[in-house]
Parts: sequence; structure tokens; C-alpha cells
Amino acid sequence: MYQRFYTALLIVSSVALFIFTLMAGYREITPDYKSYKSEYRDLFRSKATGEFMKKKAESIDFSVQQVYLGKLNRIDRCINCHLGVENPLMEDAEVPFKMHSGNYLETHPVAEFGCTVCHYGQGRATNAEDAHGTDRETHWDWPILPLKYIDSACAQCHDQEMLAENGADRVLRGEKQFVEKGCRGCHKVNGIGGVLGKALDGIGTQPRAYFPMRYVQGDKTAYTWLKEHFDDPRSIVPESEMRIVLLKDEDADLLTTYILTIRADEMPRDYRRIRTGTQEVPGGEELYKMYCIACHTTGKYSVYDEIFKRTIPAIMNPTFLRVADDNQLRRFIEDGRANTQMTDWKEDAAGLTDDEIGRIVEFLAKSRPAKRGKLFGRSIFDGDTARGRDIYETRCALCHGEDGMGGKNRLGISLVTPVVKEADPEFLLQTVRDGREGTPMIPFGSSGINLSDQDILDVVGYVRTIKPTASPKE
Amino acid sequence: MENSKETGIKKLLENIKKLKSSMAASYIREGKPESDMSRAAVMFNNFFLHFQGVKTHLNTLRPTYTFGLGLIALFLLVFTTISGFLLMIYYNPSIEHAYNTVKDIRYVVFGGDLTRNIHKWAGEGMLIFVILHMARVLYTGSYKRGREFNWVIGIVLLSLTFVLNFTGYLLPWDQLSYWALVIGSNIAQSPKEITDILGITKFFDIGGFQKELLLGGTIPGKETLTRVYFLHIMLLPLFLFTFLGAHFWRVRKDGGLTKPDDFVPSISPEKMGGIFTTHKTYGLMALARGKTPAVDRDVENTVLSWPHLLRAETAVFMLTLAGVLIYSYFVSAPLKELAAPLIPENPAKAPWYFLGLQELVSYSAFMGGIALPSLALLGLGLIPYLDREQDHVGVWFSSRQGLYVTITSFIVGTAVLIGILVIVINFGWFRNWWPDVPQVLITLVNPGTIWVAFTIAWSVLVINRTDSTRMGALALFTLFLLSFLILTYVGTELRGPNWEFYWSRSQWPVH
Amino acid sequence: MTLFAFRGVKSHGWTFYDPINIMSKFFIKLIFITALIIPMVFLCAVPSSAQDDEEDYEAVLELGQKVYEVRCALCHGVKGDGKGIVGVIRRAEKIGRVIETHARDLTLGLFRFRTTPTGCLPDDEDLMNIISRGILISFMPSHEKLPLVEREALVEYVKFFSGRWEEEDPCDPIEVRKPDWVGSRVSVDKGEEVYRAMKCGECHGYEGKGDGPKSNDIFDDWGKRIVPFNFATGELKRGSSAENIYFTFTTGLDGTGMPSYEDSLEEEDRWHLVSYTLKLMNKLN
Repeated sequence: MYQRFYTALLIVSSVALFIFTLMAGYREITPDYKSYKSEYRDLFRSKATGEFMKKKAESIDFSVQQVYLGKLNRIDRCINCHLGVENPLMEDAEVPFKMHSGNYLETHPVAEFGCTVCHYGQGRATNAEDAHGTDRETHWDWPILPLKYIDSACAQCHDQEMLAENGADRVLRGEKQFVEKGCRGCHKVNGIGGVLGKALDGIGTQPRAYFPMRYVQGDKTAYTWLKEHFDDPRSIVPESEMRIVLLKDEDADLLTTYILTIRADEMPRDYRRIRTGTQEVPGGEELYKMYCIACHTTGKYSVYDEIFKRTIPAIMNPTFLRVADDNQLRRFIEDGRANTQMTDWKEDAAGLTDDEIGRIVEFLAKSRPAKRGKLFGRSIFDGDTARGRDIYETRCALCHGEDGMGGKNRLGISLVTPVVKEADPEFLLQTVRDGREGTPMIPFGSSGINLSDQDILDVVGYVRTIKPTASPKE
Repeated sequence: MENSKETGIKKLLENIKKLKSSMAASYIREGKPESDMSRAAVMFNNFFLHFQGVKTHLNTLRPTYTFGLGLIALFLLVFTTISGFLLMIYYNPSIEHAYNTVKDIRYVVFGGDLTRNIHKWAGEGMLIFVILHMARVLYTGSYKRGREFNWVIGIVLLSLTFVLNFTGYLLPWDQLSYWALVIGSNIAQSPKEITDILGITKFFDIGGFQKELLLGGTIPGKETLTRVYFLHIMLLPLFLFTFLGAHFWRVRKDGGLTKPDDFVPSISPEKMGGIFTTHKTYGLMALARGKTPAVDRDVENTVLSWPHLLRAETAVFMLTLAGVLIYSYFVSAPLKELAAPLIPENPAKAPWYFLGLQELVSYSAFMGGIALPSLALLGLGLIPYLDREQDHVGVWFSSRQGLYVTITSFIVGTAVLIGILVIVINFGWFRNWWPDVPQVLITLVNPGTIWVAFTIAWSVLVINRTDSTRMGALALFTLFLLSFLILTYVGTELRGPNWEFYWSRSQWPVH
Repeated sequence: MTLFAFRGVKSHGWTFYDPINIMSKFFIKLIFITALIIPMVFLCAVPSSAQDDEEDYEAVLELGQKVYEVRCALCHGVKGDGKGIVGVIRRAEKIGRVIETHARDLTLGLFRFRTTPTGCLPDDEDLMNIISRGILISFMPSHEKLPLVEREALVEYVKFFSGRWEEEDPCDPIEVRKPDWVGSRVSVDKGEEVYRAMKCGECHGYEGKGDGPKSNDIFDDWGKRIVPFNFATGELKRGSSAENIYFTFTTGLDGTGMPSYEDSLEEEDRWHLVSYTLKLMNKLN
């Protein structure tokens, strides 16, 4: 019954099974690397001259070869395709048969170091796509490192000075960028740095999922992400508040190289060659660059910032420094400025030591003029606030807003923050009278406006009574 | 001495000459299956074949009756078992090595990738075919006439298939495994919702206990992997094969597959192999109570299992093997990044066959994770006991009315379920409307419970309208099948990061 | 009086950017003003003569000067030469580029935001518009809260700085009729073609990011370096509605590198360009 049906089914299935068994078998016995090996053998044969070399060419093993690195917990099978890395005859061959450039393999023999320790990629894989791991679908978190960032891999074992002496100075130059662009003003590394951005610890070994790849143009790898993010942070993360001083292409590459050296793992002791020299103590200027420059730039003039939607004050202009003494400056840095992007930098917050803050203050104070301003001699606010209000509305409201909140598209800063509320009288009074050089805050005691001391007392008195309204007006 | 020695050697040589035939004869003791008698004996005396009757009813051989579904499920189990053995040679169940060994299986083991694919797809295929087989049994009314308990065993086997698949999913220790494990353990923990409401979590934290039992800790780690491995290769297969044995045993004891009472063969069975008269091979049947299959009519409509049944089985076997091989040749089993506890997959999804449940869990953890699936299994298990009408066994949908009820239930159920989902997706649920609503209300009244209430109500309505419990069973099962389909689809394709609704994967915000 | 007129309008969250709203504000304002001023005019100033007009003008100028010196001179300078004591104002764009803003030098009589054709003086309404609304992005504050009389006086006083106002009259404002299809997909595509054809990208960047090849050396008529608009970030100074963008294309921004396309593009094409611009600014849904 149904004999013909079942027989037909049996025959068709068996034929399909047979065909696919053959196909699967064929696929198994002809992996990619075998064709590379035979191609390499032909190349080797044609290049080999001596008897010894010829014999070597013939004796190429067609089974899978691997470098097992116990201490590094790695198995690298790259040499199944990159066959000529240690063969001097292959100096001018094409990739993947090309000999490794430079003399690196003399000091880093493949048998001892493998490949992925420097180049990353998936050592266990036996086909090019998975081994390089650049494509997202390979699901490999640490794809092959583009050569322009390769210096970052060296820094796992070597100190930067040694690298710079030997021509791999990109890490050092990258670090210089890192310091001079003031990255740590917002990003913590080892617990020190600002709080506006993400901490950067271990970012060099972060899995790919850590980086939102949606807008990345090139390969969807962490390396491209970092580079493109340095080019234009908002093209990668639209809501990003990252400030970045226009970087040249080259600088973005350098910065990427340096960032990739901030890794979460550590090389085994036997591999590390880091000299522990005496660390240079950074001076005030260096610290200023590292932590302040990203927002305050030169500190000579104030800038309205489209990202923060407020004006960033000029902290090195003489009129400011004339009214703020060292202790005040120290307090500003230590405690930050509430309700602004200025975080508290003291040791238990952003992590700067007293000594470091001292050096920054010292650096700032260099721009302080010798002559102090004329003192008002007031220790309390006793102006006539009603009169002050009138003056405020004609003179101040244009920039600071009638609500005193400053903010979006206003030149003035907010006057309702603790910064103003807790400042001492002399600081505020002199500020109004003498203005701030390099900012739109003009000296109201002179320059044609000529508010009298009493006017200033009144207006400052009024300013201190302004209550913050619910939300800053846009 | 010399003589005997010579004779000894001679004998030996003789034996060597006859080796082939004597071995064959020792295996097939009755000689070549050329006569009806020896054909019967082949079946009867072979350990592997004696699970089947000597004679097979013609209805059993009808491709459109069984579609070979149960058989396919069985063969898939065989393939997963064999490929599983191969994988076990290389796999190492430790969190340091699990992922690496899977990679090695993929890259350097000869045929490793293919074996892994076969293991994976045969396993998941088993799931599908077990469910299809179950549907066939239900729609042909084959849970009746003494087969009630076998239906229950079938439910147990279904559950075991699910759990086996799930435990296997966790072994590669990649991101998929890890976050499926997190989801799974959260589901195990879901009774906490109810104990929280009752305020007795402090004394009786059954949810927490279940979670720790699964994970061997509070987060997935090396203990978890050991446990899951043990479950996957040892405990669950043990149960599975035991129950499978019982399943077949009962099929055999119940007289083989069901068949219509008024079966009329299209071809006279005499032509196919004659009527068996000389040898009684089903004597044990006489001991069984009730109807035995050995009554005249059955004999009339049977043919010899050898070769008819075996040919059909071999064909299905080859078909299954070819299907699995071809699928595995083209589609690779997924393997994502190494498990990273700090990087949640968003959305973190369970394996696809649990996504219907995960959808329910998104309404209420306890209801979706524990109560409703238990209720569903319970309801399925009770079907043969609640529907005791004994007519129309072995007929698809029993009657025209049955077909009508099934189709109506399908259409109405689809409309209602999609309606419920549309409401949930567009307007949210209680928590979105009244943020302060007590959790107990959501636990009790959520889209999942409403849907289950509807299925019950609909089935009762059908019974009331048709005066037939069989119709109620058809309706209930149709709705069950439908909810599995639709909810799984929604969970798999329409849910994105944070379990938000998206029309397609390409609309997901990040990644 | 005017304060009363506006309070109700403002509290409904109307923004400065939407010209329709501003127009409506003007209409409301006009109704109020006519309702209140016309009877007063009839009551107080019915007998008028040329001499009275002269005296009135003097009085207006005097008021204008007073307001100007308090409110405007800090930036625009007492002489209107844009050399007030506030000086340069710096604004850091999101991309890190710092734009230096100089207060407008009023003595040349060149104004960017007009409704009159290129080369023409703006009409009083244009000036009033800017004074009332301000140009927030450039930190020119809104003076909406000043009494209307003071603002009108300011308008007159601003004209006083340049001799142009004595020599020529403002032209008639350009009429704007926004077609329905602005912003449609077809229109955006056509606009993109126009954008290519007119080489807008040379300054504004081929993707509208203000980074075209010429973007680094553009100077305005006062010799200050200016940067082309980056559509990807920020709002337009005169407001980002379709009508305003159309005005920019039609009137040009006199004194800058942005020419008028009134003669070189058909009206329809200008509207297509508006569509494309809106798309670049991400204002289409």
C-alpha cells in the first residue's frame, strides 16, 4: 500500500542525502586555508633556490597549524594563511604570504608571541572573515587592529618612552593630545577626572556592544567608532554633549591610538617590559590643560557654548583674578559650581589632590594683576533693593534675563546659582563695577554708564533677592 | 590426533568460509524474509523492531493520516543524540573553556560545524514536530479509547523537549546563552511576585529558591554551567528516553495507531501480502482488557509490517536525515560574542520557542512565567478526561462540524488575540493608566489572563452550542496552538529593545 | 498699554521664531493700537501743521536717542558704528568652531534681514521686527517689552546713522505665498537638484554642514570673517520657518556672501530649495 509513494520518497531523499553528504564532505576537506597553502607552496617553490629551501617548500604541512600560548591563554591559527611571515624569501610577496615587515619577529618570535597579541582578531578562526572579525556578523569583540593604531598594542608591554625611542611614538603623541585637549575635564581615568562624560577605564578592551554603531560609516568596530566619534561626536551619538576642539584627521587617529591603550587587562609578567621610571610631577600649566582647557580654552575670554547652552566664564582674565584671591579660587575648584557643568574637583569627588589644585591655582594666579581694585569695604549687602530692581531692569536684564536665570541665548550667566548667592560682597560689588575683561560683562562703574557705588550696592542687593523660577526660560 | 587436527583446521576454514551467512543467520534467525512467516518473525524477534506489530493497519500507512510526524520527531531525537555524543567529545562545560571549545568545534574539528548545526536544528526541529504530532493526535481524536494516559505522557515529553532545548541553548556560553539564562532564571523567580503580594517572601521565597536551584547562585556562573550541562546530557535525556519507552509501549498496547471505525481500504490487502492464518503472533494481546485489535476486521485491513511499514519508516528516516542535513548545510547555528555579564543584550531574549512566554511575562512575571504555562499544560493534559466521547476516533476533525469549529475558533481566536495585543501595544495596560494600581490587580487581570479566560470561555461556549465535549476540545486546542504561534511571532519579530513594539528589526533604535 | 496687549498672547507659549505668530501679534497689536491711538490722535492732534511735524520728529529722535544710548549703545556704539564697549562676543558651536559676533555697524545702512529686494533699504516694519524680536542667536535681545512708542522712536533713530535713508526710499516688501507642496518629497528632491545646480555646497557644504570648500574664507562687507550657515545644527537667525527661509533666498543677506536668488531662480525653484533646506535642518517629519 502506498508502495510507490514511499519508494519514491525513499529514493528522492536518499539521492538528496547522498548529494549533500558529498557536498558537506567536500566542504570539510577543502577549507580556505588549504588553497592558501597550496598557493604558497607554489610560490615558495618558485622562489626557493638552495636544496634546503626547496625541501622546506615541499614539506609544508597541509593540516591545521596553531600556536598555543599558555600564559596568554591564546591559540593563534593565523599562520595557516599568513604563511610567509617568517620567510625572508617572501619579502616582496603579496599579503597574506608577505613576510612580516620590520624586524619585529626577531624579538617577538611567532612561536612565543603568536599574532593576536599585537594584531588582535580571532586567533582560533580558520577563515579570513572570522579571523579578522571586522564584520559585525562574526560576533568577535576584538577585531583585527588597523595598522594606523597598531602602536597601541605595543603599549601593553612596553612603556611609551621606549616606544617613542624606537619609532612608535604615536602613543606618546596621542597622550599629548589627550592631555592638551583636556579630556580628563569630563572623563575619569583611574578615578580621576570630571564627571560629565563616561569613565574611560578599560575602554580599549570594551566589547563591541559598548559602542552604539548605528551611525558609524566605516567598519562597525570600536576603532572606527572612536575615530569617527573624535571627528564629530554628534554624528555618532546625536545627543552627545562631548566638547571637542576641531581635530585634524591625524590628531583623531593619534587620540584613538592612545585611547586604545587604556585597557582593562594586563599582560602576564613574563611579557611585560615596562620600565618604572620616576614619574614626572605635572606642573600647573599641564594640569590646567588636562582638566580645564576643554571648556575654558585659554581662559582669556568667555564663550557662549551651544552644547551647555550657557556662557563659559573666562577664568584667566585679570579682572576676575583681581577680585578672586587664591583661597577663593581654590574653593571654586574644590567645591565646583553648583547647577553648572563645573564639577567639584576635590579628592573625594573628581579626584584632584590638594597639591594639584594648589598648582592649578598657582598657574591661574600668574595672570593676576599686581594692583588690587579699590575696595568697597562692605561685609554685608545693604542696598536698596527696590531701587536696585529698576537699575537691574534697565541695565542687566538684557543679558541676564529678567528672571536672572541667564541660560539659552543669553550672554549673561545665571545669577540665581549658589555661586552668586554665596559669594562675598566685595567679589560681587567689584565685579559689577569693574566688569570682566574679555567678556560681555562691561565695567558698569565706568565706560559711559558710570553707576555710582550706591547704585551698584543697590543692584547687587536686588540680585541677591532674585528667586529662581521653576525652569530656565528658553 | 593428526586427523582431528586436520579436521579442526578444516572446520575452522569451513567456518570462515561460511562466516557471512552464519553471522546473518544468527542475526536474522528465521532466514530471509521471503515467506509471510519469516517476515513476521523478523519483526517479532528483533529487539528494535518488536515495538511494532507484525501486521500494520492500512490506515497507519496512509501518509495523509499521520504525516509521519511522530516518527520524524523520533528520528530527530536520534540525530540529536548521535550528534550530541560527537559534540561531547570536544565540549568542555566550564566557563573558561566552553566558548573556546565551541569555537574549536566550529573551526578545526572535522565536520564539527556541521555536527553542531545538526544537533541544534534537529533539536529545535524536534520541538516543532512534537507539537505538530500532538496536533495530529488531537485533531484525529487519537487520545481516546484507552490512549488517555499516553496523551499525558506525550505532554510530559513535550515539556522535556522544551527544557532539553533550553538547557542546550545555554551551553555555548555566549551572549545569547547568558542572557537567555538570566531571563530563564527570572522566570523561575517569578513566584516572588505572588509571595511579595502576600507578604510572605521573607519566610517562603519559593521564587528565589527556584532561581538559586537553577543558577547555583544568584547570578549565572560556573556552577550554573555545571548544572545545566548535567541536566542536558544526563538527567533530562534519562527522563526523556524513559518516558519515550513508555509512550511507545502504550501505543503498542493500545493496538497501534488509531483508525476510523468504518475504514475501507482502497486496495484489497490480500494483494499486498495475504492474510495471516498459520501463526498467532499477537498472543499477549489476549491478556489486554477491552477490545483487542485481533478481531477479524483488523486482520482484514492489515498488511505485513515487513516490508510495508519498514519501507515507509525508512523513507521517512531518509527524508528527515536529508532535511536536517540540507538545512544544516546552509544555515549555521548562531554563536554570538562571549558572555559578558556587564553588557546586557538589548533586547535580552529567551530562545524563540520561549518568546511567547516572555511576551506573557512582560505583562506579569508570575502569570506568564508559571501560572499560565502550568495552566496550559494542565488544560492540555486534562483534555482526554474532560472529553470522553468515543466516536469518530481516527478521523481528522471528527466530522464536518469539527472542521467548522476548528476554523471558526481559529478565526475568532486570531481576531481576539490580535485585538488584545493591539490594545496592549497602543495603549499599554493598567500601570500606564493608573500608576498607583496595586500589583495584585495586574497579576490577576492582564492580557495573558484575559486571553486564557477567553479560551476557556470560548471552549465552554462551543460545548454548550454543539452539545459535544469533543468540539470543546478541538476549540481549546486550536486556541492553544494559535496563541503559541501568534505570541511567539510577536515576541520574536515585533519586540525590540526594552520589549518595545517595532514593525521590524530594522527599526530598532541602536545597534 | 502694549504690555497689556501682549501678556495674553505670550502666556500661551508662542515663540519668537514663528513669523505667523509674530504677524498675528502684530495684527493684535495693530488692532489695539488703532483702537487706542486713533481716538487720541483725533482728540489731541487734529490741528497739525508742517512745523508741528518737524517738532514731533525732533521729539521722536530725542526719545530714540535716549533709548538707544541705554539699550543699544553698549554693543552698537554711541555712533552706531558697531564699536560698543562690549566688543566681540564669542559663541562656540557644537562642532567646536568658535564664531565671533560683532555688533552691526549701522552707519552703512546695510541690513541682512529684510522683506525688501536686495540692494534696498529695509522698511520700517523690518526694523521694528528685529528690534522687537531680537536676533537671539547673535545675542541681540528682544525688546518686545519696550513701549511701542519707544521702539518706533528707535526705528527712526537707527535710520539717522546712515545717509542712505535720506537718499533713497525703501522698496516695497516682497510678497510671500507659500505653496502647499513645500516640504513634500518631490519638492525636497527638486530642491536638492537646485542646491547642486546653484553650487550652494561650495559654502554651505555638500551635506549642508557649513563646511564647503570656500567656507573658511568668507568676509562680510565690514571685513569680518563670517561662517556659512550649518543646517545640521542650530536655527536661522531670522527664524526657521519656510517663509523666512524663502525671504533669505529672495532678498539675499546684504552685506554678506549670500546673494539674492530673486533673478536667478524661479519662484517655484526657490520654494523647492526651501523644502530641501527644511529637510537639511531636520524640520520635516
